[in-house]
Amino acid sequence: MSNILPITLIGGYLGSGKTTLVNRLLADPALPDGTAVLVNDFGDINIDESLILSQSADGTVIGLSNGCICCSISDDLSQALDQLTQLRVKQVIVEASGVAEPARIWQHCHYPGFAPKAAVVLVDASQIHQRLQDKYVGKLAQAQLDQAHLLVISKTDLNPAFKLNRLQPSISCDDPALVATVLGWQQSTQPAAPLPQTVQFGAHTWQQQQDLPLAVLRRFLREMSDQVHRAKGWVKTDAGYYQVSAVGKELSLEAVTSLPPGAQLGLVFIYRLDSDAHTGGFAPDQITMTLSG
Amino acid sequence: MLTLFKARSVITMNPSMPRASAVLVRDGTILEVGEAENMQPWLEGQEWELNEDFADAVICPGFIDPHLHPSMAAVLLPMEFITAMRWRLPWGDIEPVTTAAGFDQRMAELHSSKEEAKPLFIWGYHQLWHGQMSKARIEAVSSTRPMVVWHRSFHELYMNDAAMAMAGIDPAHIRPGSQIDIDNGHFYEVGLGFAINRLNPWILAPEQYAVGLQRLKEVVHHGGHTTIGDLATGMFNFDAEAKALAEQLEGEDVPFRTRLVAHGTRLTQGGRKPEEGPELASALLDRNSHRLQFGRHIKLFSDGAFFSQLAQMQEPGYIDGHHGEWLAAPEELERHIRAYWQAGFQIHVHVTGDLGLELTLDILQKMQDEKPRFNHGFTFEHFGFSTPEQIRRIKALGAQVSANVYYLHELSDSYAKSGIGFERASQMARLGSCFEAGINTTLHSDFTMAPAEPLNSMWVAVNRRNHVDQVMAAEECLTQQQALEAITINAAHAIGLADITGSLRAGKRADFTVLGQDPLTCDPMALKDIEIRATVFEGRVFPIE
Repeated sequence: MSNILPITLIGGYLGSGKTTLVNRLLADPALPDGTAVLVNDFGDINIDESLILSQSADGTVIGLSNGCICCSISDDLSQALDQLTQLRVKQVIVEASGVAEPARIWQHCHYPGFAPKAAVVLVDASQIHQRLQDKYVGKLAQAQLDQAHLLVISKTDLNPAFKLNRLQPSISCDDPALVATVLGWQQSTQPAAPLPQTVQFGAHTWQQQQDLPLAVLRRFLREMSDQVHRAKGWVKTDAGYYQVSAVGKELSLEAVTSLPPGAQLGLVFIYRLDSDAHTGGFAPDQITMTLSG
Repeated sequence: MLTLFKARSVITMNPSMPRASAVLVRDGTILEVGEAENMQPWLEGQEWELNEDFADAVICPGFIDPHLHPSMAAVLLPMEFITAMRWRLPWGDIEPVTTAAGFDQRMAELHSSKEEAKPLFIWGYHQLWHGQMSKARIEAVSSTRPMVVWHRSFHELYMNDAAMAMAGIDPAHIRPGSQIDIDNGHFYEVGLGFAINRLNPWILAPEQYAVGLQRLKEVVHHGGHTTIGDLATGMFNFDAEAKALAEQLEGEDVPFRTRLVAHGTRLTQGGRKPEEGPELASALLDRNSHRLQFGRHIKLFSDGAFFSQLAQMQEPGYIDGHHGEWLAAPEELERHIRAYWQAGFQIHVHVTGDLGLELTLDILQKMQDEKPRFNHGFTFEHFGFSTPEQIRRIKALGAQVSANVYYLHELSDSYAKSGIGFERASQMARLGSCFEAGINTTLHSDFTMAPAEPLNSMWVAVNRRNHVDQVMAAEECLTQQQALEAITINAAHAIGLADITGSLRAGKRADFTVLGQDPLTCDPMALKDIEIRATVFEGRVFPIE
């Protein structure tokens, strides 16, 4: 199955920073050889030509026009994927159009010879709350959030106090681990070949069903596998609500009087996958067992 | 040489003189419409001939379909049709096949009547009538001839092993989960793209494409058209399409003209800014020939496909809770519209749902606030769903409507049951209200989405009967007069050709459609079966057998 090429999908509404992210991926030395990038070729694109050229020895950038995939007999994405099979490509990054629902494009990544790996969705910190209320694209923006496996928060400088109260893995554009996280995100359990020498990430969400003794929560977080890169969320304990945020070995447990609007009880874990054993020392099932008693 | 055409009646669509009995023509242009005895001054000292071939017929202005797709038609028309609805094609009527057994029998007939070893492409299968298709059913007809059965919606197809072998599809390489059911030879959605990419050498072969355009030419002629609009030139590949159109739809033997309207987002694809679009679109006018003419028109897109239930709907949306799609982000659509609005273009926007229409109306309102324009011809194309309030806005903003009324016939029953409910399904194509409001309103086929038969469109608009024979929103029925305006003079206005065609008066091109019965006085239910005897394009007669 090693000939199945993994596809990382980059989604998010117009102006959310997809192109900026793609440029950063292209410029990053960590981008593995043989990475093909399919960019949404609609309107004016700002992909830096020099980056395309510098990558062209190993990777390739192909433009997609914004056709209606389902109704166009010349289906750009499938044609581009077919072209890629002729090249020495090892993984693919697809920049979706700003109005695409990740779940619909995800289906299109189940193309013979390919398998979707993760849907990464950009969230514009300065616009998203307004956009979710929009008469025309509110539902679309909501669907993009709901269907993301990893949210990338952009433009936080324009809205430093931004919080997205969702139980969903997220990372800020300012995070030094951004490129590695996006490239390594492994949502799908499809048998796509993991790339050697890259760190793979996964996520697990635990939904809290019943109260938990605070002591159990503390002990669990302290003893958590060091494969866990990040854990966050809200937990209801015998001592009230707690907001949890753990990055590496740094743990923050903060008592809050109530849940923020829209927040759900539970924890989301972002963890590294070992290349040969997807779950390694971190067993998502055990979380549920430990925390739910 | 002057030609005097006499008819049982001439319907002029000129409100100052609605009826006449004769038309006098010189060099393709009408000199006078009226009564022959008044035309004597033109004839003094001139060579002239009397044409009485249509003495017992009715002459109408040449029919116009202001929105179809020759390039899509060129792909479809070389295929064999087996369809649940009647399709009247120049090379024979396609009688409805509404059972599984009937479908299999027709496949077998086609197989035995066609040259051996040539692949057979069949279009029109629909499970509602034809039962579950399978590779086994196709193999039962032939296991040696490559055969492809295409769904009516274009969204799925079935192949036998011979077709897969021809296309180079190795079943061993197909893994589960990719929307390919390889054991059944079934390719859908994503899998369809995979299959099409491999069938393209047969579907899009230049000689096949040329055959397709030749067939389109016959279809257009037999539908009684003398003018059509290609409302998305460049949808596949601009240069290839332009070349093929120039080869096949220009020349003395072509009985119609084509208004070419470029696909706006394709035009600027590849890193060009929308603001560069008007200049690129203006440069297309240099390619114009006698019958193939770009104008200062552009085509843009709002929401998703009607047939796929991807129209964007206002509340309460679809019954099953799914929602439609935007074909471009609203901001991008606005930016394109602004570029062409500022440059003075006539803009045609594909809108299907009432939310798609609402967005486009909001944008048009903004444009009017920024730079007021009169007589701008902004056109809502397809016009599936709308609300009465939107009709008022369309009127207030000076826009016009080009409707695919056939949706109502084929889809209103199923959309009432499994789409959006009866109320809104019955009121799709709210055309009576458009006429009432004084909006310039026309009808189109979007061929190959609906048959390219203006009389059929007229029949649907006048009777509003769906395919289960139910009348849908009788209040929105058009009169025969309104419906005939819709396919003649109103259509000419919609594509910017009303100064040369669309009605019969002195000075216009002599474009006629010659009918056996009078479409304004016949039984409304008989409209779609009126005999079309001939068309006249710029004075030259093109008979229809």
